[in-house]
Amino acid sequence: MDLDLLLNPIILSEILLQGMVRGSMYALMGCGLSLIFGLMGVKNFSHGEFFMLGTYMMYFVAVMMDMPFLAGIFAAAVVLFIFGMLVERSLIATLRKRAGRDWLLDAFVLTIGMMVVMQNLALLIFGSRRRGIARLVEGSVDIGPISITLERLTILLVAVLVVIVLWAFIKYTRTGKAIRATGQDPDAAQTLGIDVNRVYTYTFGIGAALAGIAGGLLISIFPAYPTVGFQPVIKSIAVVILGGLGNVPGAIAAGLLLGVIEAYSLFFFAAGWQNVITAILVVLVLMVRPYGLFSSAKGERP
Amino acid sequence: MTLEVEGVTAGYTREVPILQGVDLTAQQGLVTVIIGPNGAGKSTLLKVIYGYLEPRAGDVRHFGKSIIGLEPKDMLNEGIAYLIQGHSVFPKMTVHENLELGAWTLGGDRAAVQAAFEEVYDHYPRLKEKRSQLAGVLSGGEQRMLELARLTMTSPRTILLDEPSVGLMPKLVDTVYDEIARLKEKKYTILMVDQNVKKSMEIADYVYVLQLGQNRHDGPQQDFIERLPEIIREWI
Repeated sequence: MDLDLLLNPIILSEILLQGMVRGSMYALMGCGLSLIFGLMGVKNFSHGEFFMLGTYMMYFVAVMMDMPFLAGIFAAAVVLFIFGMLVERSLIATLRKRAGRDWLLDAFVLTIGMMVVMQNLALLIFGSRRRGIARLVEGSVDIGPISITLERLTILLVAVLVVIVLWAFIKYTRTGKAIRATGQDPDAAQTLGIDVNRVYTYTFGIGAALAGIAGGLLISIFPAYPTVGFQPVIKSIAVVILGGLGNVPGAIAAGLLLGVIEAYSLFFFAAGWQNVITAILVVLVLMVRPYGLFSSAKGERP
Repeated sequence: MTLEVEGVTAGYTREVPILQGVDLTAQQGLVTVIIGPNGAGKSTLLKVIYGYLEPRAGDVRHFGKSIIGLEPKDMLNEGIAYLIQGHSVFPKMTVHENLELGAWTLGGDRAAVQAAFEEVYDHYPRLKEKRSQLAGVLSGGEQRMLELARLTMTSPRTILLDEPSVGLMPKLVDTVYDEIARLKEKKYTILMVDQNVKKSMEIADYVYVLQLGQNRHDGPQQDFIERLPEIIREWI
């Protein structure tokens, strides 16, 4: 490949955009994972399966029921929110209340088990066939010399909108304030009469809903099949580490960054290398800034 | 009689009871201080009163009503507020948000929340000044003040304080006791566990000494001032 083509600004900006689309998915996934980790300390390995359920919800609503794709995203969010709350209430809360000090390790093993069970249930019920949607939206717009498909633009816009809504919810609503307070000092929150267990349940539901939205939104890139959640969960773990454990704004920034880095490495090197580069990046960050790129040196979270 | 503890026996495991038949009364508008050596069960007693630990025997009554096993929100509705040991402000939230969470159990009652804010800001002009700052950047003394102010947001009748001066620089310790004295003027019933025996005697009205989970001495503060060295010698 000659250098002119490699450094062509139009191509480079198209790749940037492509990276941001992927990155918005990593950001949504990482956001949910980080929110759950930051509040409860639970490393949720079944987060990818929440993503997978989101892709199936999208397929059911948008293809089988022939409804607009936004309805599919809405359905994915609602169903996963309820499902996440049920999982927390029935399984995770039970461990938290019974197992005492070591419950986080138990919860970690539990989420790995949930991953296996949900993948196999999906295989049993839906089979291994991939069910995708080629395009959520047709058409493209031109911005100067760069042409953007409406599909990508939509994914980016919806992701940005979801993040803004999440931010406003956590900042301004009563429940959002209870979530922040519980994350900062659960004992103090409890003495003030906040039902800490309910806060944990809501938060897990919100995290699951974010994964569901990501799954539904990205169906044109990741079609619905039982193990589709594997790549997204690995990437979102990387994002959580890069952004700083439990740092939600950090996860958003790291998600976009990782998406863009991956897109460029795919272009400059070859397919497959982007995973190697992600792994190297994670190791480097852990060595140099163990609290993540976007946390202060002492590991304090914004 | 505001708060009565009667024959309370409690512990974290069945084999090791921390409290063995403790009796205590806190009178309205007075400061009642519980002192005693480490491991006497002072903090445990507060946990039992606030419903965190269910006693195996005995009763806890607030204005004559048994409050055993109530949830924190019901405790607050009964007019009991509790300051746990150590720092408990939400450091990444503003002073105003911290106070807002203090009024959590008032729920959607905007008028009541507004009135609580007015009263607290009136009483603590310093906090009003710093209302939009993050609680984590306040000084240690200001944080403690915020914690005390937050306790009063629901206008409780009884306030439980666990080691309010622990971990503060000596200079700030005085401010905290001044604050507690001001709360006393406002007719709150205060029950306080304290390691700082000398300081707490300055604001105490009635004193209980616990030792090994049992009542050891009790009496009005005047009786204790002279006997104090002798009582403390018993602990060592």
